[in-house]
Amino acid sequence: MKFYLFIFIFIIFISKNLYSDETSEWLKREIDIILEAYKNKNLSNENRFLLIEKTINNNFAGTGIAKFVAGEAWKKSDKSTKKIYIDNFKRHLALNIASMMQGYSDQTYELTKSKYDSKNQVTLIDMEIFSDTGSVVVTWRVKESKDRFYVIDLIVADISLVVTKRSEFNSMLKKVDNNLSKFNEVLFDQNLESYQKITE
Amino acid sequence: MSKKIVILFFLFFSVLSYKVIASDADQVNTDSEDFETTTIEDEIYDPFEPVNRAIFSFNNVADRIVLEPIAKGYKKLPSPLQSGISNFLSNLRAPLVVVNQLLQGQGENAVQSSGRFIVNSTVGVFGLFDVAEKIGLEEKEEDYGQTLATWGVGDGFYIVLPLFGPSNLRDTSGMVLTMMTDPINAYAVSEGEAWLVPMRTAVNAVDTRSQIIDEVNALRDNSVDYYAAVRSSYYQNRKAAINNVDDSELTPLPLISIEFE
Repeated sequence: MKFYLFIFIFIIFISKNLYSDETSEWLKREIDIILEAYKNKNLSNENRFLLIEKTINNNFAGTGIAKFVAGEAWKKSDKSTKKIYIDNFKRHLALNIASMMQGYSDQTYELTKSKYDSKNQVTLIDMEIFSDTGSVVVTWRVKESKDRFYVIDLIVADISLVVTKRSEFNSMLKKVDNNLSKFNEVLFDQNLESYQKITE
Repeated sequence: MSKKIVILFFLFFSVLSYKVIASDADQVNTDSEDFETTTIEDEIYDPFEPVNRAIFSFNNVADRIVLEPIAKGYKKLPSPLQSGISNFLSNLRAPLVVVNQLLQGQGENAVQSSGRFIVNSTVGVFGLFDVAEKIGLEEKEEDYGQTLATWGVGDGFYIVLPLFGPSNLRDTSGMVLTMMTDPINAYAVSEGEAWLVPMRTAVNAVDTRSQIIDEVNALRDNSVDYYAAVRSSYYQNRKAAINNVDDSELTPLPLISIEFE
């Protein structure tokens, strides 16, 4: 009986540790996919970006972020416009992250700190990126839902990517009277321009 | 019976662990149903936006033509040399950091910064080496803009300064105060070496820009409105500096719904 009890306690211990480390392990795995894509010289620039885009779309709360950054314009729009906007936004998000990560691809990194914010039910994971002259810390905000993790924000130098995008989008949306359909055209054009830059 | 219970628990935890491990293999299904938008709105007051945008465009061109290429060249210098320049410039700022820490009632930080200045100016060979960091004296930045904010002075309106970039009324006043009271600049002027003042500012700009080449380029290349993105970034960064936020946990959390991912 003692043996079974020991096994039981051991399993509980292992499960708990697995659970707490899982977020960081998952994040490391996904970051490595992106960074390895940059190191893989056999990939064409286009295929490299598509691989990164797939990784980002699989792991970011793209739809939720899209809705948040659209602000007031979201409410006013019909379902098909929202769908187009979400697709455009997901590509936009991927282009932003890919472009940022490109700069870190030749540097080493470490996930230095993982902290669970119980109030907001968000895990904050610090990624320290080292260069010859110092280091920069990128904080990933990760939320768990339906038994899986989603990145909901990235913070660099106290600047939240999502808050910045919301401000930027709101400024542009004001110019088109909060018309998400018109904004989709602007976003599509910007994506095209960014895509050409990253794949050239 | 007891064996059965243990086996049951074993299976339960195995399934739980498996679910956690296998979760990332799930596919995201999106359903763009309507949900209420969050109420966080921008608080940035920018009444001179057209003028600011014009200056911003000028600064952007100046950055592309002058600052960015120089910063990229600077990045090619041997890293000890870059660190040395960066440390030296940071050490020159220390006396005013101490003044501002005292003005904000941060006695402990002021003592620490004074210690940093003494150690780095002597053992650290005029600030070229950050010896203080190695003995636990952490670098903390404070300026007049932050002091004024601590005293309750509001942001005022947003301004884009030619060549100096994003600011606001309060921080611009702080910058003027810095220029007027900086002891190193005052010494250089009194010695008839006033040219050192703009030179110091320029080297500072190159050093700072060299540290954010990738981030700035990522933002510039992928923004639908680069001006608004920089404006928001400036305010977020300053807000964190004023509140002395060292922990990302304190950065405002956007309300992201993931219920329909």
